[in-house]
Amino acid sequence: MSETTLYIQHFNEESRPLDYYLSKMNGYVAAKKALSMQQDDIINEVKKSNLRGRGGAGFPTGMKWGFIPKQSTKPKYLVCNADESEPGTFKDRDIMRYTPHLLIEGMVIGGYAIGSSIGYIYIRGEYTREAKLLQAAIDEAYAKGYLGKNILGSGFNFDLTVHRGAGAYICGEETALLNSLEGKRGEPRVKPPFPAQSGAFAGPTIVNNVETLADVPFIINQGGEWFAKLGKLEKSGGTRLISISGHVKKPGVYELPAGGATIRQLIYDYCGGILNDRKLKAVIPGGSSAPVLTADEIDVIYDIEPLMKIGTMMGSAAIMVVSEDYCVVKLIKRITKFYAHESCGQCTPCREGCKWMEDILHRIEDGHGRDQDLTMLLDIADNINGKTLCALGDAAAGPVTSFVKKFRADFEAHIRGGKCPSA
Amino acid sequence: MPKCIIDGKEVEFTPGQNLIEVARTAGVEIPYFCYHPGMSVVAQCRMCAVEVEKMPKLQTACSMAPTDGMVVKTKSEKTLKNQKAVMEFLLVNHPLDCPVCDQSGECDLQDHSFKHGDAYMRTTEDRRTYIDLDMGPVIQKNMNRCIHCTRCIRFGDEIAGIHEMVAVKRGNNTEITTIDGKQLQTQYAGNYADICPTGSLTIKDFRFKKRVWFLKKTPTVCEGCSRGCNIELHQDADVIYRTVPRTNMEVNKYWICDEGRFNYQYVHDADRVITPAVRTGGTLEMSIWKEAVTAARETLKGKKVAVLVGSDLTQEEGKLLLDFSSKQWAGSQAFHFGTPGITSAAQDTPEDKILRRTSKTSNLQGLEKLGYKGFTSLPHGVEAVVVFRGGRAVVPEVKGIPVVGVGVFNRKDTENYAAVLPGQSFAEKDGTVVNFEGREQKIKRAIRAPRECKGLSEVLMMWSNL
Repeated sequence: MSETTLYIQHFNEESRPLDYYLSKMNGYVAAKKALSMQQDDIINEVKKSNLRGRGGAGFPTGMKWGFIPKQSTKPKYLVCNADESEPGTFKDRDIMRYTPHLLIEGMVIGGYAIGSSIGYIYIRGEYTREAKLLQAAIDEAYAKGYLGKNILGSGFNFDLTVHRGAGAYICGEETALLNSLEGKRGEPRVKPPFPAQSGAFAGPTIVNNVETLADVPFIINQGGEWFAKLGKLEKSGGTRLISISGHVKKPGVYELPAGGATIRQLIYDYCGGILNDRKLKAVIPGGSSAPVLTADEIDVIYDIEPLMKIGTMMGSAAIMVVSEDYCVVKLIKRITKFYAHESCGQCTPCREGCKWMEDILHRIEDGHGRDQDLTMLLDIADNINGKTLCALGDAAAGPVTSFVKKFRADFEAHIRGGKCPSA
Repeated sequence: MPKCIIDGKEVEFTPGQNLIEVARTAGVEIPYFCYHPGMSVVAQCRMCAVEVEKMPKLQTACSMAPTDGMVVKTKSEKTLKNQKAVMEFLLVNHPLDCPVCDQSGECDLQDHSFKHGDAYMRTTEDRRTYIDLDMGPVIQKNMNRCIHCTRCIRFGDEIAGIHEMVAVKRGNNTEITTIDGKQLQTQYAGNYADICPTGSLTIKDFRFKKRVWFLKKTPTVCEGCSRGCNIELHQDADVIYRTVPRTNMEVNKYWICDEGRFNYQYVHDADRVITPAVRTGGTLEMSIWKEAVTAARETLKGKKVAVLVGSDLTQEEGKLLLDFSSKQWAGSQAFHFGTPGITSAAQDTPEDKILRRTSKTSNLQGLEKLGYKGFTSLPHGVEAVVVFRGGRAVVPEVKGIPVVGVGVFNRKDTENYAAVLPGQSFAEKDGTVVNFEGREQKIKRAIRAPRECKGLSEVLMMWSNL
């Protein structure tokens, strides 16, 4: 537990002001350095760092930045996705709350690298306090010349605006986010075109997660190779902020090198084990949309590839721990209810299917399930999975499939016995 | 030309075409709901998803532009399972009230269900229901039947140029409605019903009047303005029930306006003069052809006559009248009339950015080509007037001298007429009209005229020979 960490030591109220950032965190040194570099060199440095999107998809950030068409005459946009809407995820909140200038500096560098002079931070509507703190930090940065016209004498202009969402999960999906930013209904767009070709206001746009952008100053200061080496596995660089919640003794945000621990270590070593020392029942490893793991499956390195190999995902690095005295049927019903509620309603399988699955799960949990319900659930989930316009369909179907397959006995007990075995 | 392979068939395509259109050229039908060739692609219904080699997920054919050598499977197991699944999802909340639904028989949901769906249903849940607001005089809404394809929203935004249809709420509760529940404002509202793939939006005028499978369809041309939109008249037993647009990319694309759509109603108006009539005493009395023609002839005999020809008549009729009137009424002058304030094709301008023109008759350009002058006022010394009219042209006011009407008139148009010889409307005859661009188009007879209404040539024959 003595590895290098970038964030966690600064996660307290004292580190928020600009003075602290400048004196203790090499504040805006990276921006000054970056603004004297060639744009391609910055992108190459980020490519070397093996920085992968921290929002959920894990797409290499440097490669994404490289997709911006250089010859485009339209205005380009850098958008920070601070919607953090995946249930169980709360790491970006801490970055915005305690080290907002890291994000601002990262956006200045990112904006310069892709040739954009306009940045937006699309922040989750519920993050009222963070939106205020972020705005205060942006005001500080404007006052000191880190934002606005001619930043640090480089001739580069960058304006940054905080845009608050209105409470829709789907607005964390990048194209729905852009629609919402433009004042339209928060519905995902058909891809292609991808945002790098035609995003916000039809201009080339990069959408990055908060943590992704906050990582950028570290990469510029210490080099892409240094950052890449922080990671323990080949493909993932840097450290990961992990939100751990549920039935553990010490829930919260943890930071460790990418691929630096197994889920078991995270639960038992970092978080002090299960609440009331009960037995572990299930782990949802990547936000509520990740397929569930059983207690036997947690000796897996917590990183993108190892999790993918066992059929689940790291997502937004949010671990939800469930102890044995909690009903998994109730849990998946609640998760499905969330997705049915958050479905934007534009495409058929998600709009109709999520609610249908919710109704069936509700019936099962109430003790009115039928024998054929489980087969039907799996089939409906299969009809949604991979067939929808955006990933919300997959996010709703994946958990249902995994819960039914891995905890079939619990479902059958509800159906046959008409009541919950763990109650 | 690049080629792709659809269901084993090699198909040439023009870059820019989507897979639905390319497949259609090869005779392969890919089912869809939300796609419409005239509007933007949203890929929402997911019905058109097909398997494409080298792509792990099914791809929506509406949003997929084929590339050279692409291999597409529209009948693979994966594709067919998805079609079944989408059909099932769409019917989870659909009321299945086909027996009392006007769309029944021409419903995409019904047709695709028959072709691609399953007879067996697994859902036992309560269906979603909505409360509907009145959308105005044209459209009847039934949100329970809606499948959220958003064609109507896109039609308003992209074609009618008015943002009045919107989606409100979210997910399973999404409701397609007008902004603030207002009535529809556009003059193209009928198209909402045409593009609706279910019975969610239907035409009030047509509601519960006829099962669509009894309708016979005649391709013809609208006479509502000088554009000449291509339409179909739908009739059964010589009664027209509705007008629908007929695709012509060079004239009206897929659309018609409401004025044109409901123009047909005068044909069946109870006050239409459908028997020969003669003014005896103060009133216009029903008569027989021989007497009415004689009375009409007597009215004009020996007088200086002005001939008014409606620009709602066909080229054939226009030419005939030109020849006839110069011989019959020596020294007479012939004028065209149609829309108050418009006396020449040069005054005919676009009324909006879509289809409508200010000249409200179908053949202004044509009559002008034949040499007719526009009517402004009666020439000095005119002692009697004969009016020929197709049914739509607005007759100029003539006072103080006798008038004879030939053609389609309403009782209230003929208050001071000496005699009326009933003729045939645009739905009851064949002919040619020339639209504002000079395009000659054919109108076709859709129904038989009422028994005593005669074609113009027959009327003129009687005039000369009786």
